[in-house]
Amino acid sequence: MTQQLAIIVLIDVAAALKARTLKDNTYLFDNMKLQGSENEGTGDLVTAINGSYWFDGSQAEEQVMNWLPYALGAIPPTVPRSFYSDRTRDSDQEALAALTKIAATPGTNIVAELDRIKQRLGTRASVKSVHRAGHVRPGHKILDLRGEIVPSDSRDDIPELSNAAPVITGITGEAVDKQIIYPAQYGSPDLVTDGWYWSASVDTSRPGIYVYTMEIHLREPVWKHGGWLWEPVRMTFTSKIKVTSLPKRNGFTQADVGLLPLSCPGTP
Amino acid sequence: MEPKDTQDHEPPRQQPISIRAVIDVVGALATGSLSGNLYLLDTNRANGSTGIGTESLRTRVRKGDQVLWTALPLECEAFASIEDIVVDKEFCMVESRTYPGTDVSYWIGTVKRDTEIATYYIKFKLGTRMEAMTTASPAFLVGAAT
Repeated sequence: MTQQLAIIVLIDVAAALKARTLKDNTYLFDNMKLQGSENEGTGDLVTAINGSYWFDGSQAEEQVMNWLPYALGAIPPTVPRSFYSDRTRDSDQEALAALTKIAATPGTNIVAELDRIKQRLGTRASVKSVHRAGHVRPGHKILDLRGEIVPSDSRDDIPELSNAAPVITGITGEAVDKQIIYPAQYGSPDLVTDGWYWSASVDTSRPGIYVYTMEIHLREPVWKHGGWLWEPVRMTFTSKIKVTSLPKRNGFTQADVGLLPLSCPGTP
Repeated sequence: MEPKDTQDHEPPRQQPISIRAVIDVVGALATGSLSGNLYLLDTNRANGSTGIGTESLRTRVRKGDQVLWTALPLECEAFASIEDIVVDKEFCMVESRTYPGTDVSYWIGTVKRDTEIATYYIKFKLGTRMEAMTTASPAFLVGAAT
């Protein structure tokens, strides 16, 4: 089976938007620490990619990298994919139920009740573009970090919000130019990443350290045309891969230069 | 059903300080320890948090701040959740909640004092392991007056 390398790109979105840079606001992790990845949990991750060879030098299988961009200061990506739309629908249904109750209750202060319902309706934000963007759920209401609807009458500020997940829109740079990695965006049934993710096959026959650059769009809520809009803000971030000719190591046996503990017929 | 009235009883809104625990679940289960397999990060670097991306995160807090902890497994196929946060309740009262309509939990607490450093430990549920796994070393909530 192809070795799948996962790289988490965790971004403090609010801080990055404020500073207008991903530098010092981006933290990278991968699942290749055992293979020699360095600087996990920092912006200086060097992802180890050991050559796809077995101990005798024979070619094994290719290596594939996968990037998963997440927001720090956001509802975690482990909630169901439909969470945002579910919360939006629930909020609308609560408002309808409240309206029904008003209609059925003679003597209600209708103006006051309608105002109260309006306050609880929350703030809906649209998305400028969703084309193959992934991660962006258009038209849902703004939620806070607890998953609750955020009301806001202000055009200047939203008091509290769960930041939208970053979106990788391209991977370029030395590692691509030298044809070490072949990145592309793929669709998949993976519910965590909303069905889109960036992946790359790696040519492990040419050892070396190679730099690649991710183009990343953050989403910033701005007031435009009479409503809140998640507007993309383009930034870039550079990371490295370290391709070696070392043999792969088995994560369970820690074996590196020997046979895996396969049982042979006739032996206990 | 009468609509749930959450807004009427909530304190004034403020953005909580968000702490994310990124866990290499496979590594932790393989070694039986969170040491070297846990990364804690927060959103308060601009106000003085340090140790971001390590197990010994020092989150700068002030009296009245809300702090919200969530867990994120390094590999999306693995399960991780926070079972408990062991902290001096005189400094920060914490409680577990779930995101509405889900079984995904988060922990939230309110800082009560400015004047000290509080250590805390996090207990995690990982994979199918029955027993919770506790952080090997403490993380810190650092009061504004220290």
